[in-house]
Amino acid sequence: MTSTTRDLIADLSTSHGEPGWLRERRAAAWHVYETTPAPTWSDEEWRRTDTSWVDWDGAAPAANGADPARLALPMEVSSASALLRQRGSMVEVLYTSPEARDAGVTVVSLAAAADTDGATVADRLGTDLAPPSAGKLQAMNAALWSGGAFVRVPEGAKLTAPIVIVIDAADQPIFPRTLVSTGAGSSADVLEWWRSSQAATLGFANGCVELFVGAGSKLSYTHVQAWGSHTGSFLTQYASVARDAELATTNVTLGGRFHKGAIAATLTGPGANVRLNGMAYLDGEQFADHHTLQDHRTTDAASDLLYVNVLDGSARSVYAGTIMVQPHAQRSNAYQQNRNLMLQRGPRADSIPRLEIMADDVRCTHGSTTSTIDPMHLYYLGSRGLGLDQARSLIVDGTFEPVLDRIPDATVRSAVRTAVRAKLHGTAAA
Amino acid sequence: MTATNGQTTLSIRDLHVSVEDAEILRGVTLDVPAGEVHALMGPNGSGKSTLANALMGHPAYDVTAGQVHFKGRDVLDLETDERARLGMFLAFQYPAEIPGVRVASFLRLALNARRESEISVMAFRRLLLEKMQMLRMDPKFASRYLNEGFSGGEKKRNEILQLAVLEPELAILDETDSGLDIDALRIVADGVNRLRGSDLGVLVITHYQRLLNYIEPDRVHVLIDGRVVESGGKELAERLEAEGYERYGAATTSEDA
Repeated sequence: MTSTTRDLIADLSTSHGEPGWLRERRAAAWHVYETTPAPTWSDEEWRRTDTSWVDWDGAAPAANGADPARLALPMEVSSASALLRQRGSMVEVLYTSPEARDAGVTVVSLAAAADTDGATVADRLGTDLAPPSAGKLQAMNAALWSGGAFVRVPEGAKLTAPIVIVIDAADQPIFPRTLVSTGAGSSADVLEWWRSSQAATLGFANGCVELFVGAGSKLSYTHVQAWGSHTGSFLTQYASVARDAELATTNVTLGGRFHKGAIAATLTGPGANVRLNGMAYLDGEQFADHHTLQDHRTTDAASDLLYVNVLDGSARSVYAGTIMVQPHAQRSNAYQQNRNLMLQRGPRADSIPRLEIMADDVRCTHGSTTSTIDPMHLYYLGSRGLGLDQARSLIVDGTFEPVLDRIPDATVRSAVRTAVRAKLHGTAAA
Repeated sequence: MTATNGQTTLSIRDLHVSVEDAEILRGVTLDVPAGEVHALMGPNGSGKSTLANALMGHPAYDVTAGQVHFKGRDVLDLETDERARLGMFLAFQYPAEIPGVRVASFLRLALNARRESEISVMAFRRLLLEKMQMLRMDPKFASRYLNEGFSGGEKKRNEILQLAVLEPELAILDETDSGLDIDALRIVADGVNRLRGSDLGVLVITHYQRLLNYIEPDRVHVLIDGRVVESGGKELAERLEAEGYERYGAATTSEDA
């Protein structure tokens, strides 16, 4: 079984015309995958997160399955800088704006970039940030990814509209892979959206995102997970942020029955500034686990994290966040906050903050709150004529608002707000 | 929105209210006709805020006997939001802070809940700016989160802004003067005075006579130990200011000034 999977990976790589180095990396990653044990309850990171449902032995390259549903795009094509859509393993670039073209921005499938931008991709794909050795899931993705998205923003290019990546899936396991790299002094917003219809039987998704934020550049990366209700989903999203660069990531978790996000930002140069934002709205039996890492490896850098979960039904969330300050990383400024709002008695939220501070001249703080809706808030809103449902939905909106506020691009913000409201008002719920 | 033609807006008959099985109101009877401003005065613990919250339908306040009619309708079986949509309004002594909810978006939702057809975004903006100007509020106020980080004076002004935008037929002002400096008090009172008219009935609940120097009441009622013990004209408020509540034999000690 496993040897045939290895052959299958090599055959597919050859039939896609992938360069030799990539075929070798896939083979090496598959070897790491096979020799890495699956996560178990005894690993600290997986103690609250059940992965026993994952068919580790059945992992294989995506087969051709049903055609993904034709879902509406999250925004008008013309309000994007570029729009790349992956359906199953097939990638199309639907639009590139004149502005993006003039600025020399590259938005293509990762498979194509392995050829056309071979040096950059070989240098950065699964090397420093998310190598196969990071874990079994990362190794699985490195061996099996198909299609993928490659975004390169050249030095000094400043985009005023977002680059949009849409991943549509139907019934076959999917392994999205994204590589973003911003040149010195550039500025861009990227929105990646994972989707399948509620009726889709997609069972497994395992994606990997690597963000290289170049010196003095600004990147905002927003990720929306909106799979249908059958999907178990993994996301690895690692970033490195250079001197004087700014990164804002926002992870929006709406869909699936299971979601595990491993989100990390490594601050590598002085003046780096990172905001890690997250919001999840979970209902029914949904489960979402976010592990975050703010890794300060330089002096004089700042990171600020805000993760908000709203839980209904008997949903469960885990938030575990680490601030790590390396011994030489003096004058680090790091903040971490997790807020959980329960809409009724059924849900449960675990919040596990961790500080690992090895330098002595730092400012690091964290906070965590878990609350239910305050009856006084409902009374106050009621006294202004808002019924119970309206008041609750306003309070939920308000709970997410500080996160939405941190999405710099108005088009992206509005697309995310629309998706959250749609779920809140039941139009997308299972 | 029907005109009330001077008829009684609010009619309270023999109202008994308990909180956690302790009877606080022990038979309150009071009428507020349309267009009139009535003051309800009393020492701490006399039941003033209990009356305000019982009128608005706070779930923790248990009406054990009596009746409340608003515009001729029995409202005791209505939820708080239903009373509000009928035209009742309570300006809170301690308004709730609701993070993430902007003043403007909240008020537009609240106004639409009162209306049969939605107000357009532009028309609402104009209305809001006009009312904010009246209350001498910075337009930036509209995009702040509802009461979060507001000073005491800002919270009270925000309550009166809501009153001005929602245009109810009954406004209950619960200790609106507490925590206000004299300038803020004047602005708030000025706002209320501009809203006085043929339709709006106002029940001003206050410990002190100070507010009544600025909002002149048509009638003054004295609440002691959960009962209205005396009613009169505005001179009654002045007498209370001079003499205190002791003549009613009430336990009037713990003032919160």
